[in-house]
Amino acid sequence: MNINNPKLLWQLTFEGAWPTAVAFLGSSRKLAAANQDGQIFVWDLPEEPPMFEPEKKNSERKAPNHWPARRLVGHTNGVTRLIATADGQTLVSASLDHSIRLWQPNDAATGTADAILDADERKNRAKREKKDEILTAPGVTVETQASAVALAGHDDWVLTIGAGRDGRRLISGDASARVIVWDMAERREIVRWSGRTWNWIVAAALSADGQTALVSEYRYKRDDFDIPAAALRVYDAASGNEKLDILKTMFPKLKPGETSYGSAQVWRKFMAQGLVAADISPDGALAALAQGGETDTGKIQLVETATGKLVREVSGHQYGATDVKFSADGKHVLSTGRDTTLRICQVDDGKEVTALGSPRGGQFKDWLSAVAISPDESTVAAADIAGMVHVWRLAN
Amino acid sequence: MNPLCNRAEHVSRRALLKGVLGTAAGGVVMNWGGLTQTALGDEVKKQQKHCIYLFMNGGASQFETFDMKVGRPTGGVFRPISTNVAGTQICELMPKMAQQMDKIAVIRSMKTSEVDHPGGIYLMHTGYRPSANVRFPEFGSVVAKYQGREATALPNFIKIFGHGDAGSGFLGPKYQPFEISPEGQLPQFSGSNLSPEKELRRHELRNFLEERYAQENPSELARMHRESYEAARRLQGARQAFKVDAEWEKYKGLYGDSAFGRRCLLARCLVEAGVPFIEIGQSSYDSHADNFSWHKGLVPPMEHAWAGLMTDLTDRGLFDKTLIVWAGEIGRTPNINNRAGRDHYVRCWSAALAGCGIKGGQMYGASDENGVEVKDNPVSEGDFFATIYKALSIDPTTQNFAGVRPIPLAPFGSKVVGDLVS
Repeated sequence: MNINNPKLLWQLTFEGAWPTAVAFLGSSRKLAAANQDGQIFVWDLPEEPPMFEPEKKNSERKAPNHWPARRLVGHTNGVTRLIATADGQTLVSASLDHSIRLWQPNDAATGTADAILDADERKNRAKREKKDEILTAPGVTVETQASAVALAGHDDWVLTIGAGRDGRRLISGDASARVIVWDMAERREIVRWSGRTWNWIVAAALSADGQTALVSEYRYKRDDFDIPAAALRVYDAASGNEKLDILKTMFPKLKPGETSYGSAQVWRKFMAQGLVAADISPDGALAALAQGGETDTGKIQLVETATGKLVREVSGHQYGATDVKFSADGKHVLSTGRDTTLRICQVDDGKEVTALGSPRGGQFKDWLSAVAISPDESTVAAADIAGMVHVWRLAN
Repeated sequence: MNPLCNRAEHVSRRALLKGVLGTAAGGVVMNWGGLTQTALGDEVKKQQKHCIYLFMNGGASQFETFDMKVGRPTGGVFRPISTNVAGTQICELMPKMAQQMDKIAVIRSMKTSEVDHPGGIYLMHTGYRPSANVRFPEFGSVVAKYQGREATALPNFIKIFGHGDAGSGFLGPKYQPFEISPEGQLPQFSGSNLSPEKELRRHELRNFLEERYAQENPSELARMHRESYEAARRLQGARQAFKVDAEWEKYKGLYGDSAFGRRCLLARCLVEAGVPFIEIGQSSYDSHADNFSWHKGLVPPMEHAWAGLMTDLTDRGLFDKTLIVWAGEIGRTPNINNRAGRDHYVRCWSAALAGCGIKGGQMYGASDENGVEVKDNPVSEGDFFATIYKALSIDPTTQNFAGVRPIPLAPFGSKVVGDLVS
């Protein structure tokens, strides 16, 4: 990954419900993003953005918008994650509607529709100009496409999906602690297993060859006085057999079922409010784990997948991290967080190479909810809950 | 905070008695008017009614429980499910309560006057806003006074991880809540580490000295001191009522394997043992951030326990005599903030009642399409408590006295919501 004077190319308007996920589709100029209403749009970006001057010096908009070309129709509740095969032929989405959907975004469209992606701007204008008709005025005409396949197997929110780099296997996890490994070619389950009762599978990742699975569990508060619980384990992805309990390795004295807050604090420094995103390095040696929830640290933890040893903490998103990915060469780890930044750090020494975006000032100012890296690694994108998708070119 | 002990457990016996004596003086003077109403109290006590307050500390969201706004900008990510009452839907997080909707009445039009936690907690425990001049009693104390029994081994007002801090106010220390830990353990001061023989000898000596003192110095304060000590001694013989390990193994499935479930089981056991008022708390609803994750964590164990409690009470023939009150101190905002949270809101929120003659299967009142304002039948805190007292056969206009000032149980002008009570 070549990082040299990164430049913000686009800020794609995606207002209304929060953008929650983003993925490149085989190219740095084609990407998909989804939101908390379950809408997925696909953008075909021009090679170069037009000249752009911000309206105001401190405006959040610092790069031009481009409208999407297509809407993918099918989800009935928020999309939590998007991933795409390297060739961009297949997009996979996980949703709070309990489904995983597969899309072929390069196939012919099935129809057209009007889409309003500037809902917030319209509200402001309608209020300013006292014209309600602004809210319902026609938006952008987009192609529509239904999903090719819906993978059924989850009965609760599907919070996470991950895939091997060869795209042959997919792993998914839900809020009822169920994990499923799928054969992508045959669209069938290979194996399923369950985490601890009441836990949620908040993050799951597969190694590049799809043979090893990393699963992070976390239980959101049921009361101040219920047993705090989490798990972080490595599995054989073909059989679902546990290979390593990382938390047990890291905290051997911590007994399962321990109820004291003193003990909870031991692992809370590592777990924060759950390790909500995970990735496995291309060589399979390291796991990158993002401390999520609303937490002060928001560190990215790098852990050896074979031994469970904590190698180092890198970066840090004040108020919590939201997503993490390794670069294809395994030399960098990219993360987004509740500090509205996308941070890129070196794996070897943890040094931060760049922070894209900037904290918006004050406490709790929006999040960047997800990060995507283009297949050629020239471009990165981040979904912003303020209603945008930011696209940066890394070398200029 | 250490979950194994709370503030009450750190109160020494000496400190407790000191506190009891200190407040007793005020209580006796202030509550003299209440002494004139023993006839009413006796009549009410014959009803043998109970109340269990399920208190959602921090303020549970109405949008994620009983008043969903699906498809609206304020709606959030959860979906509605049908209930056993035709045409009525509640949040998908409450599948077990959905099958008990015919037994509960939801008020979707709560409109209260304290938007922050301390004031809201006071309000939703007393029916009154905090005042510098009057120490209003929690309604548990009121129920203890009018439905409680004299000289019982068990306290008449028990809190299991309760959150109200108003106490018995001007009703005096006799009706002060007895607080036990979140896990249902008795406070340290409730037990004696003396052998029974030594304890008895010490008791007899103390009794002798107190009687002699009382003969020469007749005082209400001294009498209340003796009564408090006697109540503490009686509790020694009733400690078994708080031991529910065996019951828990049997009923864990019904109540759900959670701390809140165990508290609900203990409440049922205490109702069976004759305790008129029990408050059970569940914490952490103050979801300014990650509201949806938090409610998805908090609501399922709560509703499982609540549904189990209703089933258990019904099976034991206690449901018709036990009022279940479900409420927090505030509701949550229609607007979803940029922390995925909802903030405090009291202009329109939800609470629920069940049992003890409450007409179940109804959604009383209504919010507007976004849940911003009450559309129909607003219910104030006063109306809410007046209705509760009515269900418990206690006249909400009954007056006690703070000094010479008459104070009705529910604030002046409060109305019983007649549609809710049979």
